[in-house]
Amino acid sequence: MSQLAMVIDLKRCVGCHACALACRAEWAVPVPYRRNWVRRLGPASTSHGLSYTFYPGLCNHCDDPKCVSVCPADPVERVFKDPKSGRTVKKTIAATYKDPFSGAVLIEKDRCIGCGSCVEACPYGARYLNEELDDPKADKCTFCVERLQAGEKPACVKTCITEARIFGDLQDRTSEVHRIVASGKAVRLTSKEVNIGPNVYYTGLEKDTHLLVQECAPHERKWENVRAPVRRQVLLAALKRLKVK
Amino acid sequence: MKRRKFLKLSASACAALAALELQGNSMFRPAAASTGKPAMLPGSLGAKDIPSVCEMCFWRCPIVGKVKNGRLVKIEGNPKSPANSTTVCARGNSGIQLLYDPDRMKYPLKRTGERGEGKWARISWDEALDEVAHNIKKVKDKYGPHALAYFDHGASAEFMRGIFKDLGTENYTNEPAFFQCVGPAALAFLKTVGYVASGTRQYIDMKNAKAILLMGSHIGENVHVSHVREYMEGLQNGAKLVVVDPRFSAPAGKADLYLPIRPGTDTALLLAWMNFIIEKGLYDREFVQNNCIGFDSVKEAVKKYTIEWAAPICDLKPDEIKKAILMLAEARPHVAIHPGRHATWYGRGDTSRHQALGILAGLFGAVGVPGGLYFPTPVKKAHSECAECGEEPETPVKSLQDDYYPFASTFGSPTSKIIEASLTGDPYPVRLWGINGVNILQTIPNPYHTMDAIRKLDFIFCEEIMPTETAMWSDIVLPGATYLERFDAVYAYDLLTPYLTVRQPVVKPMFEARSPFWIARELAKRLDIDCFKCNDVEEIIEEELKGAGLTLKSLDENGGLVKFKANPYRDRKDLKFNTSSGKMELSVEDFEDEDLDPVPEFIPTPAPPEGYARLIYGRVPVHTFTRTMNNQWLNNEWPENQLWLNDKAAGKMGLKDGEEVQLENQDGARSLPIKLKVTPGIRPDAVYMAHGYGSRSKQLTKAYEKGASDQFVITMYENDPFMGASSHRTNFVRIVKGKKILDIPDLCPVPPQIPRFQLKHAKTGGKR
Repeated sequence: MSQLAMVIDLKRCVGCHACALACRAEWAVPVPYRRNWVRRLGPASTSHGLSYTFYPGLCNHCDDPKCVSVCPADPVERVFKDPKSGRTVKKTIAATYKDPFSGAVLIEKDRCIGCGSCVEACPYGARYLNEELDDPKADKCTFCVERLQAGEKPACVKTCITEARIFGDLQDRTSEVHRIVASGKAVRLTSKEVNIGPNVYYTGLEKDTHLLVQECAPHERKWENVRAPVRRQVLLAALKRLKVK
Repeated sequence: MKRRKFLKLSASACAALAALELQGNSMFRPAAASTGKPAMLPGSLGAKDIPSVCEMCFWRCPIVGKVKNGRLVKIEGNPKSPANSTTVCARGNSGIQLLYDPDRMKYPLKRTGERGEGKWARISWDEALDEVAHNIKKVKDKYGPHALAYFDHGASAEFMRGIFKDLGTENYTNEPAFFQCVGPAALAFLKTVGYVASGTRQYIDMKNAKAILLMGSHIGENVHVSHVREYMEGLQNGAKLVVVDPRFSAPAGKADLYLPIRPGTDTALLLAWMNFIIEKGLYDREFVQNNCIGFDSVKEAVKKYTIEWAAPICDLKPDEIKKAILMLAEARPHVAIHPGRHATWYGRGDTSRHQALGILAGLFGAVGVPGGLYFPTPVKKAHSECAECGEEPETPVKSLQDDYYPFASTFGSPTSKIIEASLTGDPYPVRLWGINGVNILQTIPNPYHTMDAIRKLDFIFCEEIMPTETAMWSDIVLPGATYLERFDAVYAYDLLTPYLTVRQPVVKPMFEARSPFWIARELAKRLDIDCFKCNDVEEIIEEELKGAGLTLKSLDENGGLVKFKANPYRDRKDLKFNTSSGKMELSVEDFEDEDLDPVPEFIPTPAPPEGYARLIYGRVPVHTFTRTMNNQWLNNEWPENQLWLNDKAAGKMGLKDGEEVQLENQDGARSLPIKLKVTPGIRPDAVYMAHGYGSRSKQLTKAYEKGASDQFVITMYENDPFMGASSHRTNFVRIVKGKKILDIPDLCPVPPQIPRFQLKHAKTGGKR
C-alpha cells in the first residue's frame, strides 16, 4: 500500500506561481478554474514576528475524503492492481474514489454526472465543475498519476524553481516525504472541526506555518468561507441535483 | 526537429502508452480506454520537444517547447540547462498564451484616427514598410540624421537598431532598460570593478555566500530563475540574510535581519557601515592594500558618517544597524553585497548608492571569491558580419548625451533628453521615433509629457506584438513575431553555469507576424542600407556557432544546449581589473575628472510634504513590466495590483483593507482606482504598488483599466547627474476616497538633515 503525498517547504517557496501555471498548461485547465494555486498571506503580525508567506495549495488526497463519500453516481465494481506487488483488490466505487494502492483521489470522468456534490463537499475548495464542457464534469488535481506512470514528475514539482515541493510515497520509509513527516516538523491544514487526513504537508519558519494554519485551515464550511467563483458552482450544482432527483 | 529524433520520441511515447495499458487501471483509468476513442497520451506526455530560449522576460532561460499536432501545448525548462534545469517561472509557463492571444497585433496597421485613439486600417507589409522608409528619408533630409530616435529593448530590437545607427543618428539607442532601470548601477560597477556587475545580469555569488545583503532587491517578487535558485541555495546552505527595504517584501519574510529604512537614505546607511568597519578594522586589509586604490579617500570621506548620525536619518535603531553590519562582516570575504538592478530611484545619488555597494564589497574583499561579486566567463562564439551596420555616428555640435551627462554615451541617449528635444527642438529637433520592444508610455516618467512630445512628431512607428499604449500612439504598427515563432540569436550565458544555446521557432509565425530580422532587412532595403548581407538569421547563427565548433544540427543533437566550465573566481595575487587604474577603484578617478564625487556623499532626497507619502513600486512574480498583463493565464493569476498602506496610518484615516481608492500626486495627477492592502508590512511614510498594471489601451481587452498604473502618477523626476537616468521614487501621493482627498498622517518624524519637499501649489482633480 502506498499513499502519495507532498511536502511544501515554505522556506524555499518564493511565491512565484510557477506551480499553478505549469498545472494549468499540463492539463489545459480553463480559466478561471484551478487545480493548483498560490495565495499570499501577510505581511501580518504573528506571535512569532512579522510574517509574509504563501499558501501553495492543491487537492490534499485525504485519508477520509469527503468528496468521495458524497458522490451519488451509481457504484460499480472495479479491480485495482498494485503496480509493485501485482496484488489485486476488488472495490466498489462511485465516480470519484480513492485509489487503494496510490492513495490518490481520482475521478472516472465518464461516470461523473456533473452534480457538483464533491465540489461543495471539499473543505479546501480543491475541486471545480468544468462548465466549459458540454456535459460538465468535476475535476481536480490527480497528483499527476498519469505522468507518474510515464516516469515523469508531477507538473508542479517539475517546474518549481526553488525545488520547494517534495513528492513521494508516505508509506515508503525511505522516502523524503516520510522522513520529513516523521520528523514531526510538518504541519497540515486541519482544525479541531475539520480533520480528514490531508496528505499535503507544509514546513517552514514557525511564524509562517503558524500564519498558514491560522488563515487557511478549514473550519466549518460556512457559506461565507466559500470563495466567490465557487459559490456560483455550488448553487448550480444544487439546482442540478434537484433536477436529477 | 529531425525526423530521426521525432521517430525516437514517438517510439518512447508508444512505450509509455504500452506501460499504461499493461498496468491497467491500478492507479487510474485513462479516459480514452473507457470511451473507446483512440488512445492518446494525456497532458503534454508524448509531445515533440523543441529546444529554444524564453523571452517572457530578459533573463532568457533555456526552454523546450512541447508540440502536439502542430500546436504548442506546454513549455518546460530545458533539462540540459545548468541554470534552470526543467524549471520555468509562471511567465515562462504562460508563453503559450502570448502566442495564442486573440488580441495580438495580427497585420501591419496604419493609423486612421488621432494619435492615441487606436483607430487603424489594415495595410500590406509593402505599404507599411514603404511608408516607414519614406518618412525616415523625409525627416532625415529635412532635419538631419539626429532628428531620428530609436527606443529599444530586448531581442526584437537588435536588428533594427543597426538601421538607425547606419542612418547616422546619435540617438540610435535610448534603452529604457538603462535610463529607467539599471543604468546607474551599471555605470557604478563598470567604473569600480571594470565590468558591468549589474546590467542585464547580476554577477553575485549568492549560492556560495555566508551572508547576503539585499538593499531594495525583491528576489522572488522579481523572478529571474537561475538568480532565484542561487539565492535559495545560499539560504539553504545557511547564509545569513540582511534585507534593507521600506516594505516587508518577500525576501524580508526570509531575512535574519530586516531593516525598515526610511526611503532615500540607503547611502547614509552604507556610508555609516563603511566608517564602522574601517574604524573597527572589520575590513579585508590585505585585499584593499593589494587590489584597490582610493582607500584613504574613502576613509577620510566617511569619517563624518557615524552609526549614531545615520540612525535618525535612516529611522533605524543604532543597535540594529550595528547588528546587521556585524552579521555581514563576520562572513567576509564570502559576503554577497547584491549590486541591485532597478536603480533609478531618486536621480541625484543613484550612481553613488550603487558605487557605495561596490565599495562595501571591496572593503570586505568580496570580489572574485566564492560568495562575492564574480567575473563573467566569456563563452566562445564567432562573430558574424552579416548584420554589421554602420560606423559609430558623428556627434552633433551639441550632443544629447555627454554634453548633459558625462557618462550618458556609455548607454546611448537619455530618454528624457530625447523627449525634451522632441518638445522644444533644443539643442536640435527630434522629429521621428521608432520604437521596438518597449511600451514607453508605461515605462518613462511623466507619460503626459511623452504624449505631448509624440503629438509634435512628424512620424512615429513601432514593432509590437500586443496593442500596447505605445502602439495606440503610433502611425504605423509592424506586427512582430513572438520569441516562439522565430530564430533569433546564439545566447551565451556567462554566469556561474556557462552555456550556449539558440532561440529557434517552436511553431510557425501566426497571422502576418514577421521576425525582427525580416522586418529590419526589408526596411533596410527600402532605405538603400546594405547591412543585412545574409538571407535569414540561421546564417548568422551558423556563423556564430562555428566559433564553438558547433552547427545548428549538432547543437540540436545535444539537446539544444552546450555547457562550459566557469571561471568566476581569481587568485588574489593575480587580480587585474579592467578599470582606468587596473585596480578596483574605491574612489573613481573618471568621476573626479568630470567634477563628480569620486567617493559617494550622502545627498538627502526631499521627504514627503505633510499629508503625503512617497510612492514606491515593485514587481509581482507573474508579470514582466506591462508586457504580460493581457496574457490570459497571468491575468487570471494576478489581475490587478493593490495599494499597500500602513495599518496604523489606515486606522487614523478610517480606511479598511480591500476598499477602493485613487491616488493623487503632488502635481494633481490621479491614478485609476486601486484596492487597499492594509498591512503592518510597510512604513507609514510610503505607499507601494506593483508596476505594470492600469493599462490604458482598450484593445488589451483583459488588462484594460485593471488596477492602477504607477507610471501615470510619476510625473516629477530628476536626472542622475552621472548618466542621465530619470528617477521614479520622487513622487508623493495622497489618497482619494470617493470625493474626499485624505491626508496621510505624519507618523515618521523627519530629522532636520532631511528637507521636506515644498509643494508649489495645491492642485487637485487634475490629469487622469
